[in-house]
Amino acid sequence: MTAKQWKWSMYHVFVSIFALLMMYPMVWLLMSSFKPSNLVFVTAESLIPDPWVWDNYVMGWKGIGGQSFIIFIKNSLVLVILSTIGVAVSSAMIAFGFARLRFRGKAFWFTVMMVTLMLPYEVVMIPQYILFSKLGWLNSIKPIVIPNYFGNAFFIFLLVQFIRTLPTELDEAATIDGCGKIRLFYRIIVPLITPALATVAIFSFYWRWEDLLGPVLYLNKPSSYPVSMALKMFLDSQTVSNWGAMFAMSVVSLLPVLLVFFIFQKYIVEGISTSGLKG
Amino acid sequence: MRMRALQDNLVGYFFIGPFVFGFLLFTFIPIVSSLYLSFTEYDLFAPAQWIGLDNYKYLFFTDSKYWQSVKVTFIYVVGGVPLRLAFALMIAMLLNTTARAIGLYRTVFYLPSIIGGSVAVAIMWRYLFGDEGVVNAAIGLVGFDAIRWFGNPLAALWMLIFLSVWQFGSSMLIFLAGLKNIPVSYYEAASVDGANALQKFFKITLPMLSPVILFNAIMQTIAAFMTFIPAFIISSGQGGPLDGTLLYSLYLFRKGFEFFHMGEASAMAWIMLVIVAILTAILFMSSKFWVHYESKGGN
Amino acid sequence: MKKAMLVLLALVMVLSIAACASNNGNKANTDAVTPDGSTNAATTNDKQEDVKDEKEPVTLRVAWWGGQPRHDYTLEVIKMYELKNPHVKIEPEYASWDDYWKKLAPQAAANELPDIMQMDLSYLAQYGGKGQLEDLNSYLGNGINVSSISDGAVSGGMLNGELFGFNLGVNALQVHYDPELLKKIGVDSIDPNWTWDDYKELGKKAADAGLYLETGLRPEVFFGYYLRQKGQHLYAADGTQLGYTDDQLFIDFFNMTTDMVKIGASPTPDVSAQVKGAEDDPMVKGNAVSIFQWSNQYVGVHQVANRPIEMHPLPGPNGKEGLYLKPSMFFSVSKNSKQKEEAAKFIDFFVNDIEANKLIKGDRGVPVSSVVQEGLKPLLSEENQKVFDYIAWAEKNSSVGDPPDPIGTAEIINLFTTYNEQMKYDKISVADAAKQFREEANAILAKNKK
Repeated sequence: MTAKQWKWSMYHVFVSIFALLMMYPMVWLLMSSFKPSNLVFVTAESLIPDPWVWDNYVMGWKGIGGQSFIIFIKNSLVLVILSTIGVAVSSAMIAFGFARLRFRGKAFWFTVMMVTLMLPYEVVMIPQYILFSKLGWLNSIKPIVIPNYFGNAFFIFLLVQFIRTLPTELDEAATIDGCGKIRLFYRIIVPLITPALATVAIFSFYWRWEDLLGPVLYLNKPSSYPVSMALKMFLDSQTVSNWGAMFAMSVVSLLPVLLVFFIFQKYIVEGISTSGLKG
Repeated sequence: MRMRALQDNLVGYFFIGPFVFGFLLFTFIPIVSSLYLSFTEYDLFAPAQWIGLDNYKYLFFTDSKYWQSVKVTFIYVVGGVPLRLAFALMIAMLLNTTARAIGLYRTVFYLPSIIGGSVAVAIMWRYLFGDEGVVNAAIGLVGFDAIRWFGNPLAALWMLIFLSVWQFGSSMLIFLAGLKNIPVSYYEAASVDGANALQKFFKITLPMLSPVILFNAIMQTIAAFMTFIPAFIISSGQGGPLDGTLLYSLYLFRKGFEFFHMGEASAMAWIMLVIVAILTAILFMSSKFWVHYESKGGN
Repeated sequence: MKKAMLVLLALVMVLSIAACASNNGNKANTDAVTPDGSTNAATTNDKQEDVKDEKEPVTLRVAWWGGQPRHDYTLEVIKMYELKNPHVKIEPEYASWDDYWKKLAPQAAANELPDIMQMDLSYLAQYGGKGQLEDLNSYLGNGINVSSISDGAVSGGMLNGELFGFNLGVNALQVHYDPELLKKIGVDSIDPNWTWDDYKELGKKAADAGLYLETGLRPEVFFGYYLRQKGQHLYAADGTQLGYTDDQLFIDFFNMTTDMVKIGASPTPDVSAQVKGAEDDPMVKGNAVSIFQWSNQYVGVHQVANRPIEMHPLPGPNGKEGLYLKPSMFFSVSKNSKQKEEAAKFIDFFVNDIEANKLIKGDRGVPVSSVVQEGLKPLLSEENQKVFDYIAWAEKNSSVGDPPDPIGTAEIINLFTTYNEQMKYDKISVADAAKQFREEANAILAKNKK
């Protein structure tokens, strides 16, 4: 075995052990979903279900109130995809404006954007709710989706920080070539910030997916509830809860997010380091 | 010259226009109303009554739980954020290779963050740190006494900090993207010059990554100030034991939506805004000394 | 990037098609599921309805909290109602307990409350007292039939003479215990006339046997009961201050409960904090002899414990003065509703219709209508029957309940929790807690003075 191979195998051993440690709680969750609902807590300390049951998945999939769980998944996907497209496109534009352009009032608007990040949502929640009710947007996905098309401060700031790490020589070269700012944006900057955009996509997808407060406030019809709300409906502090179904559907609801992560993390790998910027 | 400036402004506002428009439409009015509400008594149902500075006075001088929540939150932020960032950076560097199965590793390490603040996590954490849980079993193996995580206010708070460290995925991902942005040529040049790994880390990785570190530091600080979901692991969101996990946002939420004191809750939010803004400003100002930007075009 | 997006979009399309298909399937299924009797009734009704069908179509928003079983059967009840009243379309809005209240508060702020909403005793004053709820007095006997409902049951939702919620069922406090574990601590049976002294005695025996006697007494509930036994009340009738004047009562009660923790007869707060659900409860797991709680929780506890569990009244003396029937929950009609008459009719159906209550089966407390109670008898499970019997017994052995909790109750409960915890951890003396609790509670309640 060469020194290099030795180094790699050590790497894999170390990373795997560490990964397993991190994974233990997740494995516990997965295994709990195969335990009979009434034994989940009684046999919490043993990882292997005895007996193995599939009932939780069958029961959970049947959903709530005669509504299959797939409807909740569909609702979540619609919310999440519409929001993610909007937030990625608009945030990239806005970030480019803040990071690369000179114009009056830039510092002011940048500060405003940072302030919007620091105000807890709970407090603007009520005035915003009343605003959306005046717009007639209650009981629809509009209050959750549409604001994403006007950028999200977190993502804007993230992308600004990324664009700032790009050498300005590129801009100058492009400008000398007669490239306008708009073309500079989508020809040069967008391809270069692909890793950051992939990060935005992953975050946005996942945050919308797990978001509870937005749907709780704005969606009234159970037929339009997303997964995050549905999971809570298996539980009730006053009567008997269906723990098994909750665990099982928690596992199921992780799958789309995992899939998205797995697809988009590749674009982080194929970042700037491999994309011919070396020269 | 003037034409040039006008054109610059037009292009600038073309790009940031969506933000300005969205801010004025969806955020500005609610923010101003919340500032107004902080000077009123408002219970959500009856119209708000102007009471001047009473909410602020009450929080500062009468409400002992308020200061408890400030204290708890500072421990949570100061203890949790650096730990989480260090952990995230370490893993990101570990995973910033072209090793086989790297996508799988990344997914595995990101997995805990995906599960987020769901019900399942609360249940899981309650089991893991329980009297018969794995954590105490491990502590026992090493030969220490079991810790009563749910009975000791500080231990309970650390239980929440561990959860936030375990869910380091979002910071890790941002670090990873940042690491990928560092041109390989820099490292190659350093290798030619005979630099070792440690030197490369301090001379190339850290400076090149500094804008991203600044970003993560600011974001994680803000996020830590706003967390309250983890507090639902213990005493179903009451902030126990002995108010040891009464995080600021949790107390704010309870005030607004359980006790129906929206005025006080708004005042709390604005105090927090000022605190976080000061901290952010300090971080930004300090960044002149340690953050390295490739481009000088920013502000 | 583009490719990935395309894959995702395709996925959504496929899923939405699948969802539509399964949706249709469900509809067909549930139609078939409705009980034979009611489907028949419905079809005959349909024909007669042609004549009366000139009624204006009405849409009612009905909101409630609960778990999966409650959602399922309530939707069935709604379907039954819509069949009988084809001009009414009901939009159900249901959620878990904490999400429900998060939804309701902003809706109230924006004047968007549902027509009918399930209401809890602890929120009734908050919503009713602030003008969000309709006074239902004028609908009694005029939309809501109360001929078989006792005045006591109706007045449970009464606040200063205004009826802000219609009682859907009653609960009473009791002790649920495991007879086997009781034997294990050397006691054959609990004396029907037991007292708080016996309770302490049993506590010692349980602690000696290494068991808990109970799993903790919620202070706002059981201190309230204790006060009633002494002829006092937790809140003054007008809700502007505490109802008891002698702090010795506070000291006596909490000395007793904290002593139970200290001798090991009741769990410390950190043990209680680790309980994840009913399955995990110390009594269900066999570590505690009993639970002090509401009667409607008996069926659930019995189900998860899956072994004989008995019920028993709370300790005396003066149990009759202490015990009261508590409205388990209400249906309230919002002030901004445009369909108040129709809303009242739905409440009437929910409370008085026997077929509907065959689906509800006392999940929202023992039905208030004596006719419905009679009608359900043959269908009840053994456990349900026990709960019904207990309530029947309690009706004769209890006294009038306190008026709905005043505005500020949530904060008072929070004070109780805080001080109770501090007393159990020995961070504050019971006497000091009594004094500080009084000061802070009175400051909160004083805000209700007009």
